[in-house]
Amino acid sequence: MVLGTYKQIVHARSTDKQIQKISQDGGIATGLLCFALDEKIIDGAVVAGPSDEMWKPEPTVALSSDEILAAAGTKYTLSPNLWMVKEAVRQNGLEKAGIVTIPCQTMGLRKMQSYPIGVRFVADKIALDIGIFCTENFPFESLKTFITAKAGVNFDLVEKMDIGKGKFWVHTADDVISFPIKETHGYEQNGCKVCLDLVSELSDISTGSIGAPDNWSSVLTRTEPGETIFSQAVDAGLIETKPMDEGKFGLEMLTKLAKSKKEKAMKEIDQRKELGLPVPYKASSEKEDPLANV
Amino acid sequence: MSEKIVISPTSRQEGHAELVMEVDDEGIVTKGRYFSITPVRGLEKIVTGKAPETAPVITQRICGVCPIPHTLASVEAMDDSLDIEIPKAAKQLRELVLAAHHINSHAIHQFLIAQDVVPADLMVTAINSVSEIRKNVQYVVDMVGGEGIHPSEVRIGGMAKNISEIARKRLYARLKALQPKLDAHVDLIVGLVADKGFPEGLGVHNQKPLATDVLYGDRTKFELDRFTEILPESWYDDPEIAKRACSTIPLYDGRSVEVGPRARMEVFQGFKDKGVVAQHVARALEMKTALSKAIDILAELDTSAPVMADYDIRGTNKLGVGAIEGPRGMDIHMAQVKDGKTQFYSCLVPTTWNIPTMGPATEGFHHEFGPHVIRAYDPCLSCATHLIVVDDEDRSIIKNEMVRI
Repeated sequence: MVLGTYKQIVHARSTDKQIQKISQDGGIATGLLCFALDEKIIDGAVVAGPSDEMWKPEPTVALSSDEILAAAGTKYTLSPNLWMVKEAVRQNGLEKAGIVTIPCQTMGLRKMQSYPIGVRFVADKIALDIGIFCTENFPFESLKTFITAKAGVNFDLVEKMDIGKGKFWVHTADDVISFPIKETHGYEQNGCKVCLDLVSELSDISTGSIGAPDNWSSVLTRTEPGETIFSQAVDAGLIETKPMDEGKFGLEMLTKLAKSKKEKAMKEIDQRKELGLPVPYKASSEKEDPLANV
Repeated sequence: MSEKIVISPTSRQEGHAELVMEVDDEGIVTKGRYFSITPVRGLEKIVTGKAPETAPVITQRICGVCPIPHTLASVEAMDDSLDIEIPKAAKQLRELVLAAHHINSHAIHQFLIAQDVVPADLMVTAINSVSEIRKNVQYVVDMVGGEGIHPSEVRIGGMAKNISEIARKRLYARLKALQPKLDAHVDLIVGLVADKGFPEGLGVHNQKPLATDVLYGDRTKFELDRFTEILPESWYDDPEIAKRACSTIPLYDGRSVEVGPRARMEVFQGFKDKGVVAQHVARALEMKTALSKAIDILAELDTSAPVMADYDIRGTNKLGVGAIEGPRGMDIHMAQVKDGKTQFYSCLVPTTWNIPTMGPATEGFHHEFGPHVIRAYDPCLSCATHLIVVDDEDRSIIKNEMVRI
């Protein structure tokens, strides 16, 4: 199963006008965290908040809806959110923390919870993990370089970035520029090349734009707490859903992309293994299902 | 006719030590000598020549039983050497983390003496009570210090971060809820120690108490020129022991002193009792002092206040003194910083002060009470050890030409 185990898969978006305006797609991560915070399901969340530098996120402990809203929107660069977990639980005193993670961080988080070496009484305080779909991620300097060079835009003028329809989109105040996503290859961080996970298979809920209509998100609920929070938010009217589009631009595309990420990564893993390089995954010959995320 | 009773190593304490008692025909101790046989680690030498920030990180690893006092003493020594005035909130956070640690450490000690004083039918109650208290106060250390064992947030110049308002309220509520439990626990321990029926006068000695503060420590109360340090061979009159003892003998006004909870209570709270029972009672009562202090701090802590001072790391070679009242007594660290490097570092730790006091305290009673006397002082030897064993065959330490570590 290339999408991991899940309970239900739907299209969804936040009904809150403010969230719709500032979020990347359906505003699911922002909407769910705000809802969970209001309902006291979590008492704070680790998110990729704003830093002093435009488009450079900084792991932040958000203790209010305002702080969660300030972190809305995708930044296509690294935000080491797990690094903030300890501070969230210790100095900020959270006992039921929420967190937003990309697939590699989701794996790290689950590892922290399974083997809490150095994080005793810390990792177990994570109550909700919202996983984000991720094809690849860019170091900040990479992002800056290819936007300046390929889109020909001053980095400070960028208002929104987006990946979709095979292109990387750069929005400025009065212009929308795009270039093929293929041209960003080589700029991604090295680890992405061996990553087998597109859809945050180990999260409580995963969400992302792939396979969803514009301004909607695809959502997979995976665990009991994830399912409960999501259905509560739907019942409360904060999130609207519609059945997943099974067709070419829906589930089919999500499955296809998840599969191709795995296949590409598996090839790279096998190649690196053959060279004797350290890779934190098994080679395809060592596992039953070559596409399994192990 | 005198006989020698040797207990080696003495048990239910941190580190290895030996108690050698000369007894008469009735088994009454006529001469008690207690000394450390824990090998040296030389942490003071490790930090010399390195950046000042290294010292708290390394010296907190002197011992896993009281890493908090060592960290605090180390940063206080550095603060003093670098002439740093830390912000008020940082001082409060430091006091808070130490108060919580006092309670935790005393509770551990009560666990260690449980076999001595708790009857079998109450053992489960006593141990559960100890665990409950430790769980709550370690939570405070976790949150404020950053780590439960080796606090990462206690830094030169203050603290790395203030706690959040949520954390403050949570800790306050938790410690408030702990108060009745702690009161009951203290009553339980004090009652059990009284019921045990230790002979009157056991462990009483004539040494003066030495303490700098009710709970936290105050470097101005420790006068360096009244302090001297001698080698074990000029202290122990038995050459066999003098050769093997691994800790130096610190003296204040030329005499050995007693440090610890009872000493603090005697100096600052007019506590008069002496001996084994008094040690246990003072230790238990001090848990209440520490808890009420922690609650007071949490009530008035400003969580938005700055906790880090600006400072110049280069230093002027001033001898900085950090005096912290650890659970087992006064912990002094001394440091000199010049050109951004630690030039000199020395630790004068609680048990070092108590070692020469504990042995004589066993005198006058049957040797079977010897271990009870030692345990009443809650010795913790790994930090006390300062001399190196040079001959593994006979375990002797180097003598007159000894290199001081």
